[in-house]
Amino acid sequence: MLTLFRDLRRLRRDIGLPRPDRGRSLAIRHVDAGSCNGCEHELGATANPLHDIQRFGLDIVASPRHADMLLVTGPVTRNMERALRKTYDATPDPKLVVAVGVCGISGGQFGVNYATRGGVDQVVPVDVYIPGCPPRPEALLYGILLAVGRLRQRK
Amino acid sequence: MSSVSYREQIAAALESGWRFAGLHATSDGSSVRTLLADATGATRLETAVAQQGQVPSIVDLAPAAGWDEREAHDLYAVGFAGHEPLRPLVDHDLRLDSWTVPVFGRDPYQVAVGPIHAGIIESGHFRLHVVGERILHLDARLFYKHRGLERAAEGCTLDEGLAYATRACAACAVANGVAYAHACEHALGLTPDVELARVRTILLELERLWSHLNDLAAVCSGVGLAAGNTHFAGLTERARRLNAKLTGHRFLFGTIHVGRSDITLHRDDVRLAADEVAALRAEARRGWRELQFNRSFQDRLPDIGVVDAAAAVRLGATGPAARAAGLADDLRASSPRLDYAGFEAVTPERAVGDVQARVEQRTLELEQTFAVLARLLEGRIGPAVASPGGEERAIGIGRVESPRGATSCIVERRDDRVERLRLRTGSYANWPVVAYAAVDNLLPDFPLINKSFELCYACADR
Repeated sequence: MLTLFRDLRRLRRDIGLPRPDRGRSLAIRHVDAGSCNGCEHELGATANPLHDIQRFGLDIVASPRHADMLLVTGPVTRNMERALRKTYDATPDPKLVVAVGVCGISGGQFGVNYATRGGVDQVVPVDVYIPGCPPRPEALLYGILLAVGRLRQRK
Repeated sequence: MSSVSYREQIAAALESGWRFAGLHATSDGSSVRTLLADATGATRLETAVAQQGQVPSIVDLAPAAGWDEREAHDLYAVGFAGHEPLRPLVDHDLRLDSWTVPVFGRDPYQVAVGPIHAGIIESGHFRLHVVGERILHLDARLFYKHRGLERAAEGCTLDEGLAYATRACAACAVANGVAYAHACEHALGLTPDVELARVRTILLELERLWSHLNDLAAVCSGVGLAAGNTHFAGLTERARRLNAKLTGHRFLFGTIHVGRSDITLHRDDVRLAADEVAALRAEARRGWRELQFNRSFQDRLPDIGVVDAAAAVRLGATGPAARAAGLADDLRASSPRLDYAGFEAVTPERAVGDVQARVEQRTLELEQTFAVLARLLEGRIGPAVASPGGEERAIGIGRVESPRGATSCIVERRDDRVERLRLRTGSYANWPVVAYAAVDNLLPDFPLINKSFELCYACADR
């Protein structure tokens, strides 16, 4: 049984994620770990008719179980830390984590205090950071496509 | 003042028409201050000094103080004699039965939702006690996003403290920022000049514009009407692009300062903005007209999530939620520090406080916003200041009508430093009202009821 799981994991890792040379779809789960709601509004705006995130084959899914990528906003608050860890664990490998916004990157304005742990990478490993306060919808799309290797990083 | 007379003062004030507008513990937890406001916009603070860490509770006199007292207990260790049980609010390190209301019987079961929701939604937890499909009781647990920003602001200069007030919530950044700026200016004896009042009023209404458009989009998505959602989501996007064009920021961050405004706009740019606002008005009206004749949309709205006028007063509802119940309260009608000449609160014709009334209320308020913007977006916008000359105080109070209702900001200062910042937003006031509105409704209607309030979690959690 355990061997099978390991094989499955390897199989998923080898074939699961979109490659730079292929335009494949990606399922994203959003986690608000304590943001000011700005990143949420801009993330919502990526789905509006003017940005239309789905034209890239990207979609926001309802459960981490269905997700390839976690998009995490906000400084991680003490009250959200456990929920974020559980969501991370519930997301099947291989997975990508994107820290969104200044708060997601470093804790931003709030830093570390009695109520916050700071940036997302203080709690779970992060692959890509999308700066901005909040990042504009275009920046979010750019960061997501960069994370899955569908764009080259600008020098 | 002795603690006994504190309760008597509050009781007498409530008796003579004052309304509860917030309660907070001082920085060291040694006293508790209650903010009262009347219909003319006047405010007063009543202070109770804690005796052995306790002050008398006023939650029986003003049920709206429930959350404030629980928060003061969690964060400042103040006890409230008579508030039983004093359930935790911000502190999540406790057992389930410490914060939920016990519901007994054979049939009720619980539906637990969140803190992480299925869409792009802020984090919060709803524990619905349900019999069949009907909601018996809702325990809303927020403060997952509590970032400790009031504490973080302590010790900052008054200028620095502004960042904490504005970053409390992106959707109410201007309202919170102006409330903070007003509180500081009140404390420093500064009065905004005509241009400063005008600029801030424009910014407040630009914020309400995108926010109310977004609320209508959210209600459409709550009903599952994709066409309505995309129409209003598109308009929301245009409103945010207008914000970016005018101020460089889609959410108007960085536009508010204590004692001044730096925004400069050429008259031609202001005219272009006025044209875009007029275009948005026409498009919003067109969308609303279509919604009014969409039977499957309209059928979902009436008679659910009802909060009548008596409940709205008792629970301290504010903003569109209160006006939809027929209470003509709007701080914009009594805002001498802003430019709302001749403004009067509107309420819908069918002001019964259900989802339909709250949705209609948004459209009535959008019309007001369009009118205010049309009046103020004329001629150039220049730098402006608040002039000294007023009385200086240790405690300043600022109150602003945010898109979600009355937001009160209290700044207690020591010289030019923040000693205590208290931000009580429209969302904070309205969340307990959502829990009340859900009762007796069908579970599948809860998302729609919630969206008809469209409150911020960030604003409440801070």
